[in-house]
Amino acid sequence: MDWKRFDRVRRDVGPVHLDLVESYAQGRITRRQFARRAAVLGLSLPFVSTVIAACGGDDDETSSSGTGATGTSPPGTAATTGSAAGTEGTAGAGTPGGTIRIGAQVPGALDPIQMQDLGAYGLIAQSFEFLATLGDDGMIAPGLAESWEPNETGDVWTFQLREGVKWHDGTDFTSADVAATMDRLVEAQNSGLSGVIESGAVDTTDPLVAVFNLAAPNGNFPALVSLFNAQTAITPASYETGTTLDATPAGTGAWILDSFDAATGCTFVRNEAWWGGATPLDTVEFSFFDDLGTMLTGMTGGAVDALVQFSVIGGDALLNDPNFNVLEIQSATHRQIWMKSDSGQFADKAVRQALALTFNREQMLETLFRGRGNIGNDHVIAPFLPYFDESVPQRERNVEQARQLLSDAGVEGIQATLQIPNLQEIPELAQLIAAGAAEAGITLEIAQESTETFYGSQWCPAEPADPPCSGAAEIGIVDYGDRPTPDIYCNAALKTGGVWNSSQYSNPEFDAAFVEFQGSVGVDAQKAACNKIQTILNEDTPIGMPFFYNFLSGHSNAFQDVNVTAIGQMFLQKASQA
Amino acid sequence: MTRYIVRRLALSVVTLFLLVSAVFLITNVFPSDPGRTIAGPFAPQATVDQINETLGTNDPKLDQYGRLLKSVVTFDYGDSYQLRQPVTDLLRPALGRSAKLVVFALVLTVPLAIVAGMYAARRRNSFADRAIVTLGVASSSIPEFVSGVILQYLIAVQLGWFEPLALAPRGSNLITQLRYLTLPALALVVVYFGYIARMTRAGTINALDADYTRTAVMKGLPTGRVMRRHVMRNALQPTVSVIGIQVGYLFSGIIGLERIFNYPGLGLLIFNAVRAKDFPLLSAAVIVVGIIYMLCTLIADLVIAWMNPRARLEAVR
Repeated sequence: MDWKRFDRVRRDVGPVHLDLVESYAQGRITRRQFARRAAVLGLSLPFVSTVIAACGGDDDETSSSGTGATGTSPPGTAATTGSAAGTEGTAGAGTPGGTIRIGAQVPGALDPIQMQDLGAYGLIAQSFEFLATLGDDGMIAPGLAESWEPNETGDVWTFQLREGVKWHDGTDFTSADVAATMDRLVEAQNSGLSGVIESGAVDTTDPLVAVFNLAAPNGNFPALVSLFNAQTAITPASYETGTTLDATPAGTGAWILDSFDAATGCTFVRNEAWWGGATPLDTVEFSFFDDLGTMLTGMTGGAVDALVQFSVIGGDALLNDPNFNVLEIQSATHRQIWMKSDSGQFADKAVRQALALTFNREQMLETLFRGRGNIGNDHVIAPFLPYFDESVPQRERNVEQARQLLSDAGVEGIQATLQIPNLQEIPELAQLIAAGAAEAGITLEIAQESTETFYGSQWCPAEPADPPCSGAAEIGIVDYGDRPTPDIYCNAALKTGGVWNSSQYSNPEFDAAFVEFQGSVGVDAQKAACNKIQTILNEDTPIGMPFFYNFLSGHSNAFQDVNVTAIGQMFLQKASQA
Repeated sequence: MTRYIVRRLALSVVTLFLLVSAVFLITNVFPSDPGRTIAGPFAPQATVDQINETLGTNDPKLDQYGRLLKSVVTFDYGDSYQLRQPVTDLLRPALGRSAKLVVFALVLTVPLAIVAGMYAARRRNSFADRAIVTLGVASSSIPEFVSGVILQYLIAVQLGWFEPLALAPRGSNLITQLRYLTLPALALVVVYFGYIARMTRAGTINALDADYTRTAVMKGLPTGRVMRRHVMRNALQPTVSVIGIQVGYLFSGIIGLERIFNYPGLGLLIFNAVRAKDFPLLSAAVIVVGIIYMLCTLIADLVIAWMNPRARLEAVR
């Protein structure tokens, strides 16, 4: 430890940042966790480096630069574990010019405010930008905002906007655009900002400063307005809800939408006036695929250069292809097995615990994802987050205990229909769950439905509207995408009256713990709150959560410096031909 | 002939009316909430109600039926629920893509199959005949999406001779587009070669055995003339009829093949519209397919009538 240097660092920061620095210096968080948290709090990279250097930088984790294969990644895997995005280090200047052809899923409507699918997220992120964007280390970094900082209580965040940013039509980007975007998001209720900000939350007195007055303290706010919350892409003040990118091309980003065909694909051309400078590539072509198998064939047959996403099942060949550069991203993407906790056969928490005890989590992760992910513990705090509390015991498979719980509760012969969407590996997961449950005497009949109807009919029917999702099925499996913080999972799926609370879970202690977590700015306080969240959810088990799985993306070795997030945004500003 | 055409066109209008009515019934059988489809599962109910009001989905069914009938004439089906684009903007390119594939496949298949069928008929029970019949039965029993996958893997992925996907880059010339379409077209050739060749063979055998052919030969007419003027005109009538019906199917029924080659034609468009309960798009696409069916059978009947005057006399009678 270089105490002299460290003291100098400590003198230069406010109380919120100091807490983080002290946590790292005292070894309560790892270097990776420190870097991740520092990014959220808006600490600059040089400052973070200084702290790490002053503290000796001697923990045993690999560098967070994301340049090398780490952890479980197989040969040929470029990056990364431990971050929510796959990034490649600087591989040197590539050949300028050219086009990259990307295979992506067919997008829904390109409405930045109301979009709900990864296909749309990926396209919107080409033209529109975020206050906080993707850094070289895979964490958030200054985007349209050059810096940000909270007040001492964490309920006012001030974002210094980047000067000289222009919309594609040549007009200036200002704080009025930020304020209008946020107001639209609050109204649409589609971005996980419900309860975090209210309409009119952004003070726009200075066109280059956006001051967010939050509804309550929130230590993770910058992450909620970063690229990891896809709907928070900043759109022009005039861009009304319902406006789509293809109908009204706009943005501040590196790529301008040149052509769009909803059935086949679209093309983006370089924005010569982009504030970040000229992109090496001339154009980006997206081809839309209705079927993953066809997309993989397109990749192996040389018809596309990159895939936004592929799965282990069916994509094994690419994982071992020396010409294919896999981007593997540790993410909080997961499946929730919701169980109605207010009525019906799963109202007794002993029954819910019994079902969770039948999960063979390792087998599920291995079978469905070849082990590429993390074991879950029936709560939403992913183990790689800085505030994850490892002291909460892991629930292990124990069928005997499950039978005993059911017997003690006087419950026998449970028969229920497990409602699932026909999505990726979920049908196979349902089979594994049903097989395990049967051993404890719980009979689950699987009912599969198309994704077009599942969410509205089984997971969260619009009626009855109060409380939300009260018309949900008794038990089912639903997919949740990656988020930088667990706020949205807690706020929407688990908080009393949450808009996606299909388990109808309600526990004042959990609600209080979540409020405590949101209001915590320091690492210790967040970790303490997370301990409560993890313990309460594990005990109450309103949802079963067997695993978090890694996001797989990749590209041909003919290209380099392609970055991607676990919610399907491929960043190509630095990409070039190798 | 004019009377025949007028009569057929009048019948087509009636058929179209019945088709539109059937489409309306089908799209109203499913429970749906277009407002929710457009606004998404998380939008406030007030927003959903507002959209439904704007779309007129709460109007009396008779009014909605009237609007659908009107849209057949004006060809304005409104916007797609799912993609929020005018239906015609989505339909037109899909129709064009399907047309290209169908025409290319027919250009490859029909001459080849007719020549093979007639050759087999003229050399009945020879090795060539047996080979063509056996090959035809075998190839037509393989679904096009199976032969498509095999061709894609062997010829595109392994050998790299053709493109693995069927959609050529934007702005490509016709030759490039056809190169991209070669594999799915070949998959269709595999299926339809056997079917059309066997049909032609059977028709040719019947014509060769007919009295008028025997008379023509006895009169000493050259073989080529006998084949052209007496055998072909009669032998190909069932073949033409079958091709007419199959063209309609090729426009909308080869969803598997379109998925394999990522070729968004009419089939995939209809499939996705059904999945998303995108009724404006679904209605328009089904009506277009119906019109194609009618046009193709009409053209086939006209060709048959042209080849065989007895057919048009019977139809007019």
